[in-house]
Amino acid sequence: MAAAGALTNINTDSMSGRLLLALRNGLLAALAMALLAFVFHSLLRPVIGSALVEETLTITLSRLFLVLLPIAAYLAAGTAVRNMEERHKALILALVAVSAVYALVVGAQAFLGAGPFAPRPSLQFSARQTDEGILVEALEAGGAAEQAGLQPGDIVTAIRRDQVTLTELNRRVGLAEDDDPFRLRYIRNGEQDQLTVRAVLQSGVDYSAIVTGLVIALVIAALSIYWPGRTLPYILLAVSLLPMVVGYLWLIIATFSYRTRGILPLDGQGNIGGLTIENWGFLVGKDIAGLEFSIWQVTLNSFLLAVMMTAVVLLVSSMAGYALSRMSFAGRKFFLSFTLILHGFPAVTLLIPIFFILLNLGNLPLIGDLIGFNTLGGITLVMVAFDLPLGIWLMKGFFDHIPWDMERSALIDGASRWRVYREIVLPQIRPGLLALGIFAFIGGWNAFLIPQTYSIGAGTVNLPVFLNELIDETAPVDWNQVAAVGLFQLIPIFIFFVFAQEYLLNIYAGGTKGSS
Amino acid sequence: MQANLTAYGFMAPAGLLVLLFFFLPVLIVLYLSLTNLASANFTSNLAEMEFIGLRNFQTLLNDQFAKKIFFNTIFYVMSTLALFNVTAALIVSLLTAHINRRAGFVFRALWILPRITTSTVYILIWRRMMAEAPFGIINQVNTALGWPTWNYGAENPWVFVILVNGFIGISFGMIIFTSAIESIPADLMNASLVDGSTYLQRIRHVTLPLLRWPLLFVVTYQSLSLLTSFEQILLLTDGGPGLYRTEVWALTAFHRALSNYFGNTQWGYGSAFAVVLVIIGVILAVVYMRVFRFDELVAEPRIEVL
Amino acid sequence: MEVELSNLSKKFGDVVGVEALDLDIHDGEFVAFLGPSGCGKTTTLLMMAGIYRPTTGTIRFGDRIVNQLQPRDRNIGMVFQSYALYPHMTVFGNITYPLKLKKVPRQEQQRRVEAAAETMGIAHLLDRRPAQLSGGQQQRVALGRALVKEPDILLFDEPLSNLDARLRLTMRGEIRSLQKRLGITAIYVTHDQVEALTMADRIAVMNLGRLQAFATPDDLYERPPTKFIAGFVGNPPMNFLDIEFAQENGTLQLRSESLELGLPPEFAAAAAAADGAVTFGIRPEDIILDDNGPVSGEVFVVEPLGRDDLLDIIVGTEHFLLLADPKRKSRAGDRVRLSFDMTRAHFFDPRSELALSWK
Ligand SMILES: Nc1ncnc2c1ncn2[C@@H]1O[C@H](COP(=O)(O)OP(=O)(O)OP(=O)(O)O)[C@@H](O)[C@H]1O
Ligand SMILES: [Mg+2]
Repeated sequence: MAAAGALTNINTDSMSGRLLLALRNGLLAALAMALLAFVFHSLLRPVIGSALVEETLTITLSRLFLVLLPIAAYLAAGTAVRNMEERHKALILALVAVSAVYALVVGAQAFLGAGPFAPRPSLQFSARQTDEGILVEALEAGGAAEQAGLQPGDIVTAIRRDQVTLTELNRRVGLAEDDDPFRLRYIRNGEQDQLTVRAVLQSGVDYSAIVTGLVIALVIAALSIYWPGRTLPYILLAVSLLPMVVGYLWLIIATFSYRTRGILPLDGQGNIGGLTIENWGFLVGKDIAGLEFSIWQVTLNSFLLAVMMTAVVLLVSSMAGYALSRMSFAGRKFFLSFTLILHGFPAVTLLIPIFFILLNLGNLPLIGDLIGFNTLGGITLVMVAFDLPLGIWLMKGFFDHIPWDMERSALIDGASRWRVYREIVLPQIRPGLLALGIFAFIGGWNAFLIPQTYSIGAGTVNLPVFLNELIDETAPVDWNQVAAVGLFQLIPIFIFFVFAQEYLLNIYAGGTKGSS
Repeated sequence: MQANLTAYGFMAPAGLLVLLFFFLPVLIVLYLSLTNLASANFTSNLAEMEFIGLRNFQTLLNDQFAKKIFFNTIFYVMSTLALFNVTAALIVSLLTAHINRRAGFVFRALWILPRITTSTVYILIWRRMMAEAPFGIINQVNTALGWPTWNYGAENPWVFVILVNGFIGISFGMIIFTSAIESIPADLMNASLVDGSTYLQRIRHVTLPLLRWPLLFVVTYQSLSLLTSFEQILLLTDGGPGLYRTEVWALTAFHRALSNYFGNTQWGYGSAFAVVLVIIGVILAVVYMRVFRFDELVAEPRIEVL
Repeated sequence: MEVELSNLSKKFGDVVGVEALDLDIHDGEFVAFLGPSGCGKTTTLLMMAGIYRPTTGTIRFGDRIVNQLQPRDRNIGMVFQSYALYPHMTVFGNITYPLKLKKVPRQEQQRRVEAAAETMGIAHLLDRRPAQLSGGQQQRVALGRALVKEPDILLFDEPLSNLDARLRLTMRGEIRSLQKRLGITAIYVTHDQVEALTMADRIAVMNLGRLQAFATPDDLYERPPTKFIAGFVGNPPMNFLDIEFAQENGTLQLRSESLELGLPPEFAAAAAAADGAVTFGIRPEDIILDDNGPVSGEVFVVEPLGRDDLLDIIVGTEHFLLLADPKRKSRAGDRVRLSFDMTRAHFFDPRSELALSWK
């Protein structure tokens, strides 16, 4: 208890008090991260494993926490003294505190035989880079290289067929496990030959790593004092969005390249470059390998689906929303609660029975061919139905805000309820119609699961389904071609994104706040 | 009476669609789960299907794979929820709420992108992210930094299943939390500023306590969404690699009944899987309505004629 | 058009909006509904308009029972407190809307809208939208829209309460003269008694969903049938005092703890009807500051109203409000003497609150 009291009641007026505070925070942060890593690695992993679920996620997370441990500790120590009046004193305190924390981290690593104290794989020879290749200078007596037959003066050029430099060789060796074979090509007396060296684990301390670590720690300490705090949220937000940004960037670059490696476009020789617009050829009638659909037919299907869905969702939800908001009729309360329950109900769970509904709708006389299985009409109806609970609820919310007197006035002026709805009320909820319309359009344009499930053949294939078929082909996938079609599909989405963000932000919370 | 008729006229299209695509399907899926309908004896006529009682559910209980899939599902829902839909969403909304208004708005808007991108394109992008060296974007970074490269699809499928769904899931909580944070009275914030509290203290003592209901809402609502949605998993791993490695419950229902993966489509057995989700869905939906008091928003209309 | 409401009630669940209302309105009459907030005025009006369905009772326009008629078949015009203009239509669109719904021919529409706009003095505003108009202009548009279809009955629901005092005064006169000129039966809801007293042929006073009185403004003021009306009509309000009657030396007397006054003999009937305690009421203007008056009191508060000073005077333990000439420069604490014009006294039964002197 006394110790805990001492830890929480640090007097921060004196320099030593502040130093103590910085040390405490650094240690607490390290402890927290270690604890998290421990929880994921040693507590959660076995539980998940025993429940037949594999453990990669928990392992990844525990590794992540271990990697972040020192950084979190330095940051915590540094920021603890950040608010001091005199910056240079704060810096000194931070440097001292962080060095102390670093010493503890390194001490722990030495104790555990981890980090720079861990045994490292080595081929046991020293070398330097020359123009011809890696010149072997000296061999450790009895070491792996000597045993394999390597001699001083040999020039190593490649591992198997890959040309390597000294840095690359060291990198690969660094990643190796005990006894991993390295098949080296080398030149001895002008003649090419090869031999296999097996990596061995060599104990020893990596002093350069310790020094680098200290430098990093001190830099973090300095940053934690001098870094302008206001920029931190921006950096965090930007970093968290990085995967998405890079992903979209790849999509755009890929559509203009023959092939890509990572996000870089490559030409035929494997060098960066080689841009092309050939992937966009499908727009001017060039066939996409192996597929019999015309892209324009597919685009038209997508467009029809989106437009029909928008129209029907708007009409049906605004009608029902109007009745629920403004009319009194037997069963109104029931319909309202029912709509609300549907709003929370996950409609995708009903895909199986809806298949049978569509099959049977298809048997109806006259309209069966329009709304049955494997028709655009049927797909539209299902998608409309899934959007209805949200749509009705949203529309009702908008209607609720129209003054009653205006509607009463129109009724007295001689309008029927239908005309009031059409001529007086609808024009006043344009923002609501716009929001729901955009939502429905995007939903229809992006529809994948429902068209995929309820259609076969060219008549109903829309862009997302088409893309999926491009990827699922057994022949090698032309990723750059796929990317071009994908980007083409995204164009309307980007347009909405640029011009209607506000609506999107509101409605994608499920209308839960759009209504009130 | 005439007022009722007009109102029913307005309600009719919605009512019909709800009847056809919500009400009847719930009944049909219950019925299907009690039949042995499969590709061998397929018929779309409900009366001709063969009724086998609860045998599908017996099979399900004894199914070793069903057990694995069950735990997979729990793991998937809880991890995604805990890491992304709640925690990351809360962090993003706190961060964006405390920076320049316009910039905060832009960041939130960017987080909408994963949700409005077509699933096929979205997954296409992620597949390239996680592809093997030298094509994958992440592996390119690994190579550049001197780290080992991975075959993520084979070795870390769960990490990516959760990332992919988590990136979509952030926006929902983010929007709900942001509107809750923005509705915190400025007076309250100012009062605590006057008290001299730090940024973190303000979050801890002012913001978070007021977020209790939004938090509960996001947790319940999103756990149901995660439990029942499977589109991204279908596209990313299709439940693999290997046998059921990333298969979840909703995907199994789909696989069994609607996708000819093994050639034999089992409508009855697939429906048994779906029924479990339908029942959970109905119960939770009713609970939401009660807990979050949506029913209190129901006011009487002020025109009684027509 | 004559209007007759009989036994009209409206309940909203447990809430009583209007209870057993009986009312006969003559053709061409201007009737005001007066009463405190929430007493059921709007509810009555909306039942006449056909927006609310009566719980019980009938509504008759002329010789037709209209209970079952839709609003559009009742041929009424209504003006709302909020004006209820259609924001997405121009002024012209707003005023033509009833005609369009009636399928009046184009030319005729044009003619009638222009005539109505002319009458209301808004001819120059026809192309604007409601949001671009002042409150007064919006009110005129609303009135024009109600008039253009030449209704049999005009309903007003507090149409002037959103206007400033000066505009209210001119609009009052305009509405009144317009109604007289067109001879349309008008029902005018207000809680401003001055408006009711100056505009209406007859006033229906309502309280808590019930009709309290239906009479001409003069009658209501001079011979209020209930204590509620006596207190509600008139500003500043009537003074009330609990008293007993007494006979002394053959003359009728009024007696309370702080006051004893002689009464003229015409109140003998009232005194005979009374049973013990009685509520005595007297209007502020019937108490006069008079140095020879029989009652003495002390000025408690002086409230200058401009043309008059409103004095709150304590007599014994009782407070009386009265009006005094500002030239007297009354001050709080002044000792004054009062005389009461007892010919204008009112007496009410304290339990039933009905007037004792007249029915
Ligand atoms: N649609 C309704 N639903 C439930 N109660 C109502 C409704 N309309 C009116 N009421 C209730 O009926 C009573 C009479 O209301 P009404 O609107 O007629 O009052 P009012 O005399 O017009 O008052 P104000 O001067 O404030 O306009 C009130 O108690 C009111 O709360
Ligand atoms: Mg009213």
